[in-house]
Amino acid sequence: MVSPVCSKQIGVLHKRFKQLSHNEETLRRDHFNEIDDLAFNPIRAQIIEAFFDRRNFHQNGEGKVQEIGFEEFVVVMSHFRPPSAHMTEEQRGKTRREKLRFLFNMHDTDNDGIITLEEYRHVVEELLSRSGTLEKETAKCIADAAMLEVASISVGHMEPDEFYEGITFEHFLKLLERFEIESRMIIRFLNMDTTTLCK
Amino acid sequence: MVELCSSEESDSDAVSLCFQSLFFVLAVLFHFSQRFTTVVPESCMLILLGLVLGGVVLIANKKQLYQLEPSLFFLFLLPTIVGDAGYFMPARLFFDNLGAILTYAVVGTLWNAFCTGFSLYAAKLLGFIDEHVQAEMLDFLLFGALISAVDPVAVLAVFEEVHVNETLFIIVFGESLVNDAVTVVLYKVYISFVEVGAENVQTADYFKGVASFLIVSIGGTMVGLIFAVILGFITRFTKKVRIIEPLLVFLMVYLAYLTAELFSLSAILSMTFCGIGANKYVEANISQKSRTTVKYTMKTLASIAETIIFIFLGISAVDKSKWAWDTGLVSCTLVFILIFRAVGVVGQTWVLNRFRLVPLEKIDQVVMSYGGLRGAVAFALVVLLDGEQVKAKDYFVATTIVVVFFTVMFQGLTIKPLVKWLKVPRATNRKPTINEEIHERAFDHILTAVEDIAGLQGYHHWRDKWEQFDKNYLSKLLLRKSVYRKSELWEAYQKINIRDAISVIDQGGNVLTSARLSLPSMASRASFPEVTNVTNYLRENGSGVCLDLQVIDNIPGAKVEEDMETHHVLAGNLYKPRRRYQSHYSRHFMPLGEQERQDREVFQRNMRSRMETFKSTRYKRHKKERSLKKVRRISHRNKRDSLSLCSDPVVVPVETEDKAEHSDPEKDEDVGITFIARKAETPKQRPKSGKTSLSLEGCQIPLLPPPPPAPPSPPPAPSSPTSEDSHLPWKGSLGSPPPCVSLEATKIIPVDLQQAWNQSISSLESISSPPAPAEPIHPRVSALSRLGGPRPASYTPPGSAAGSTFSIGPQVSQGSFLFPDKKKEEEEEEEDVEGGVAAEMQPLMSSLKPPGPLPPPPPPPSSAPGSGRRRTPCVYLRSLVTSPPPEPHSRGPTQL
Repeated sequence: MVSPVCSKQIGVLHKRFKQLSHNEETLRRDHFNEIDDLAFNPIRAQIIEAFFDRRNFHQNGEGKVQEIGFEEFVVVMSHFRPPSAHMTEEQRGKTRREKLRFLFNMHDTDNDGIITLEEYRHVVEELLSRSGTLEKETAKCIADAAMLEVASISVGHMEPDEFYEGITFEHFLKLLERFEIESRMIIRFLNMDTTTLCK
Repeated sequence: MVELCSSEESDSDAVSLCFQSLFFVLAVLFHFSQRFTTVVPESCMLILLGLVLGGVVLIANKKQLYQLEPSLFFLFLLPTIVGDAGYFMPARLFFDNLGAILTYAVVGTLWNAFCTGFSLYAAKLLGFIDEHVQAEMLDFLLFGALISAVDPVAVLAVFEEVHVNETLFIIVFGESLVNDAVTVVLYKVYISFVEVGAENVQTADYFKGVASFLIVSIGGTMVGLIFAVILGFITRFTKKVRIIEPLLVFLMVYLAYLTAELFSLSAILSMTFCGIGANKYVEANISQKSRTTVKYTMKTLASIAETIIFIFLGISAVDKSKWAWDTGLVSCTLVFILIFRAVGVVGQTWVLNRFRLVPLEKIDQVVMSYGGLRGAVAFALVVLLDGEQVKAKDYFVATTIVVVFFTVMFQGLTIKPLVKWLKVPRATNRKPTINEEIHERAFDHILTAVEDIAGLQGYHHWRDKWEQFDKNYLSKLLLRKSVYRKSELWEAYQKINIRDAISVIDQGGNVLTSARLSLPSMASRASFPEVTNVTNYLRENGSGVCLDLQVIDNIPGAKVEEDMETHHVLAGNLYKPRRRYQSHYSRHFMPLGEQERQDREVFQRNMRSRMETFKSTRYKRHKKERSLKKVRRISHRNKRDSLSLCSDPVVVPVETEDKAEHSDPEKDEDVGITFIARKAETPKQRPKSGKTSLSLEGCQIPLLPPPPPAPPSPPPAPSSPTSEDSHLPWKGSLGSPPPCVSLEATKIIPVDLQQAWNQSISSLESISSPPAPAEPIHPRVSALSRLGGPRPASYTPPGSAAGSTFSIGPQVSQGSFLFPDKKKEEEEEEEDVEGGVAAEMQPLMSSLKPPGPLPPPPPPPSSAPGSGRRRTPCVYLRSLVTSPPPEPHSRGPTQL
């Protein structure tokens, strides 16, 4: 896979990688857990898992790894690259799909191609976990309602003996149709603050 | 608030009559010609109207009576518009684009002001401008400053109709709001320079000018933020005095404006930031009604102010004594402001795009350059000039008027076709779905996390830091405890829920035919082989009825527990219909409206049914408690609302013992589905209890017995997946075998849903609407079905119903109009399914002739009963207001 992040950014990322891994060749989960700023992130676990998920390295990867090298690190990061200025519609669509695939994989924890209600509830629960006082019950309601909505959007009318298994990737695409992900899921790696690197 | 400054009283009556009649004529024209108004922006029309009015006044009076007074403008008109804009500013969008907005507002305005000023001076030196215009460089700079600011009123008026995409709108509009600070500061600095005299200005004064700019803008912002905190804090404690909430909002926001003005800080900035800052906390703190009040009052005031400003602009333009024309000055100014605006925008965007993740396209730049509308602020500032010191004031006034007219009329007229022609991405006026909300939020966190991992301290990082600060300190300080607990996601969810409920009701409720009740049932069919056969049988018979087969009584619970459960079900399923308002008036306290209560109930039901759709087996405890309270409230109310009850003959069928059959601890929540299969363990065919009817003559109110002792806490279901859960595919792994119910052990209880539903709908409808065509089935829609489900109004022990009670025989049809107050539709039929399902089902489907006193057969479950039986709203309303029919016994189908 061609790394789509430009060389200057790779330089910056490499520094950061070294810093995170304490000058080792690989990164492990506890390295991520050491990042202070991440500590308050409600969906920290999912994001960290995404870095160790083979699906995010290759098209057909599967399963988890225990540690990642710099290449994998950059490949995962490259999901967040901004779209280049001159892009055809086709490329734009492809980027969009890739980015959404990344999100989808993040929620689909058991890698069966479907975000089940269980998994979705988990996401919402974690999202809400930072607001502390909310009960799990509430998260469940919201996830349930959201799931119903997905079912109604993607399937439409359902026979009584049908049931909705969960969000497939196709439904996921449909769901976030209006979401301008290609212009939002981007991070500029260039303007890094050097102070954090020297810490 | 509109003070027309009349110097002569003589003709003012006639003139104002003219004013009014003309206005009305034009207003009528406005509304008649939809197409006209879509082409011509309102602001243009208002200016034209003003021109006409000014002309009429001038002809009638030889002297202009009305003019835009700067004090009126700055003290009343401008704050209303800015306050509205600030308070309803999409804060997130504003701060996301803050960099761009500040750049355009500060750098862009300074650039425009200086370039225009100097170029005009150059033009004057080169002789393009007439010698009559006695102006020095300082005068031109002053003029350049006041003419360069993009005007929020004009921008808002034009861009709101154009509907460009959000980013573009917020940049242009944010710029127009913030650059007023720049303009006002520049203006004041120049004024002081002019007063002192150009030759006396020292170098230090220029630095003072720069310093004063910083002080004015930052100071104004701070004042605004301080008031925002105060406002948030005060609204935390207004729970008991809801009525003053809107007043507080207006007062504090306006105070922010006045205070800043008092200290010569930027009042516009102050008000804007007060609005932006307070919005989140205030909206969360105040009640729904106050929110609506604030919204509509602000919008109304703002559009009134806007209308007045534009009309006055037109009127002032007619008065020749106020201005002097110089073609050179006018044309030079026009050309310069257009050129410099375009150059400035392109230059700044070029710089900004190097930093922006989403670059501003060329099209955006064109619209931004073209959208640089000047307006009333410039006009007010130029009128404020002192004619003694600025000799060329009259020329400047004329030029300003022309510039304002040109930008608002010409550019305002052409910007819409331009936007269309350039195919600028339009704004989609669409509410986000729940999923989008969820992903939106997940997204913020993901981006923050990736920034953190990459060691960046970018925008997301700081936003996250701010959110944490807000959550840990600000929200704790400014939000009510009850609100603080709820997250934004929850709020969004709630809003969406309410919206759905309302829209379903707006659609006439016709959505609820039995065919639509098919929820995406989550239970796996394989678990209920026998029952499935029943379903299939029914379906083959074309019944279109959906059996809720999950409602299976697999727990032969103890009798006591059943009773308790029954009670929960009753309490939970009560649907309390609309009721008349009490005649109670207080200026400071508003009684909790029935409508509100009802909305809340609709909302609760909707939400609950959503949860149940997924067969979550847990009870929401607090909800239960609330619904229990409702029962109490009902019985309580009955005592008070005697009047409203008496106005119509009321049938109050009181279900008694049958209720006890609702024994199913968990599944009964699903009663909303047409059939309930359950064990035939309990004795069948309990006698229907007498139905209570409130006759007119009697005017007797059934004093419903107090609700039975509060039931114990819900059955020990919660928190562990119950057997029900194990049916669900995703829980299948749990492996507990699903309870299979043999056919012999089941009874089918048909429940007529449409009746109750339709009546509640007709009571909710305020306009008669034809039965809507079949809509696409929407699970959420069906989730609402529970609204209309069989809801006993109260739990009444057998025989205890007071009031004129008579036994209801078969002659009392099911279709009889039940007064909504006490409406209760409960037909339960219990039949043993033992003897072959087929034989049983047929009667159930076609006619619900019960062994007991049961109403005539409801038509086959389809949409037919719905449309046929539904009372038109008018009829319903009339029945509420007119005196009740003489004989209470005339109930029956005829009454429908």
